[in-house]
Amino acid sequence: MYVDILGNVKDNIYILGIESTSHTFGIGVVEYNVREKSLKIIANEYDRYVPMKGGIHPREAALHHTRTAPQVLRKALERAGIKIKNINAIAVALGPGLGPCLRVGASLARFLASYYKLKLIPVNHAVAHIEIGKYLFNFKDPLIIYVSGGNTLIAIQKNKKYRILGETLDIPLGNLFDTFTREIGLSPPYVIDGKHQIDICAEWGKEFIPLPYTVKGSDLSFSGLLTAALIQAKEYKNNKEKLGNICLSLRETAFNMLVEVAERSLVLTGKKEVLLVGGVASNKYLREKLIAMTRVHGAKYAGTPPEYAGDNGAMIALTGFLSYIYNIHIEPEKAFIRQRWRLDEVELPWLPN
Amino acid sequence: MATQLVNVFDKGAESVIIQGELLGKKIIVKYRVKKPYRHPKFDEIFRKTRTKTEAKILSELYMNKVNVPAPLIVDLKNSIIIMEHIEGQKLSDLIEYMDIEELKTTAYQLGLQTGIMHSLNIYHGDLTLANILVNKSNKKIYIIDFGLAGYSRDIEEYAIDIHLLRRSILALAPDKLDVFMEKFIKGYSESYHGNVHEVLQRVEEIRLRGRYVEERLKKKMLRDKYIE
Repeated sequence: MYVDILGNVKDNIYILGIESTSHTFGIGVVEYNVREKSLKIIANEYDRYVPMKGGIHPREAALHHTRTAPQVLRKALERAGIKIKNINAIAVALGPGLGPCLRVGASLARFLASYYKLKLIPVNHAVAHIEIGKYLFNFKDPLIIYVSGGNTLIAIQKNKKYRILGETLDIPLGNLFDTFTREIGLSPPYVIDGKHQIDICAEWGKEFIPLPYTVKGSDLSFSGLLTAALIQAKEYKNNKEKLGNICLSLRETAFNMLVEVAERSLVLTGKKEVLLVGGVASNKYLREKLIAMTRVHGAKYAGTPPEYAGDNGAMIALTGFLSYIYNIHIEPEKAFIRQRWRLDEVELPWLPN
Repeated sequence: MATQLVNVFDKGAESVIIQGELLGKKIIVKYRVKKPYRHPKFDEIFRKTRTKTEAKILSELYMNKVNVPAPLIVDLKNSIIIMEHIEGQKLSDLIEYMDIEELKTTAYQLGLQTGIMHSLNIYHGDLTLANILVNKSNKKIYIIDFGLAGYSRDIEEYAIDIHLLRRSILALAPDKLDVFMEKFIKGYSESYHGNVHEVLQRVEEIRLRGRYVEERLKKKMLRDKYIE
């Protein structure tokens, strides 16, 4: 796949990726094997910060990252079976994300790069989510649906950039579910055994109730839906079945909105592949809806598996590798974090179109 | 009523478009199909309300001489609208091959049409390049697909129309954005009755509302100064 650019490379290439944009501190390592001409993920270790109450507290999360960073790094290197001096470059997610959390990863990356005299590669977190999905399923030019706690958007690649066709105008989909379950007293924890609280709550319900449905062209708005659902939930605080009905309808409405704009974008662009990435990609109901939708239009569908759907270091390492072969790197003293770094700002020379 | 259905003309995101003939005139049958991913109850409400809005707004716009297909027959129970057939190609297919003069006139025409529509307190709700037809022979442009349209006096809705148009160009032909928008705004200012400046300001506001827009962060400027 990367043979033409890497023509005269003699040794294997190892890239270490650091992820610390939000609740996860993760380190991953990828290996480019010269003999086999293949790219493999050889380590993907992480530690997730789970709040005792409320949502993510940036300072608490950053503290968690600082405490677990050495351990995660050691584990990742052990799993990969390499020493730090074998590594060719350090990739780090510099944004978008929470400032205090980003700083932990950036500090570690700057230290490793300057102490071991390695190249430092800046990676956009959103790009990394997409690249790992494309890598896992060998997709070349998909319609991208990126849904997580921080993003809800639909994008395609065009002129060496990811272009956003539609996105949320207020809160992201993951945030909607998290906030709702928190406000009605179910979360934290937000996820139990890989199942989100909203899905657990939805199992109690049977009936669908109408909730606000806000689609503006290819853009979405979830804040009105959240408010309406919360008002109804307040009335039925102790009624498990009624609460279940609200969860069920909230999820159904939110997913219908997303699938509708995805479908419109699919028809508009005529793409043949649909790729679901980001934390919410592990939700089986969204997956079912998207499979049903793509089947109608004869497009291939794939969603990143849970292991790589949430934030992880492997995706940063993988995107770091792509940047590495195109010689993208920065000086450690200029590696500032960027809390706001939109997906469509990043120029990506490896995109085919 | 001799109705002759010819073929499936286009498969849109939410409907099947069938071409046909009615009393010797070319027509389009727009049938909103059931969606396998939607709960049946939602699906029914959905298709009904969207068909109703579209028919209502199409007729109002047509009577006010906006370039839209004339609605002929509406069947709410089955979510079907039969309307006039428009000769033309989607702007999304044409934009990449248009020369600069063609692009300018198209943008200007579209600006004019959108201005008239907004003056009637109607917003389109999905004003993207795929919903604009261009007739190459008489150079007329037509706006189609009013499923997400509605009535509102809020300039927010008008601004969203322009924002969606802008973003759709940015996704499909980013290098043509500036020329297109300049002419569009020229046409829009000529036909829109309200305060154009206010609408355009809101468009900019909506763009900045997107997630992780760095311009929103004033501190960035301070930081850049510091680096230098």
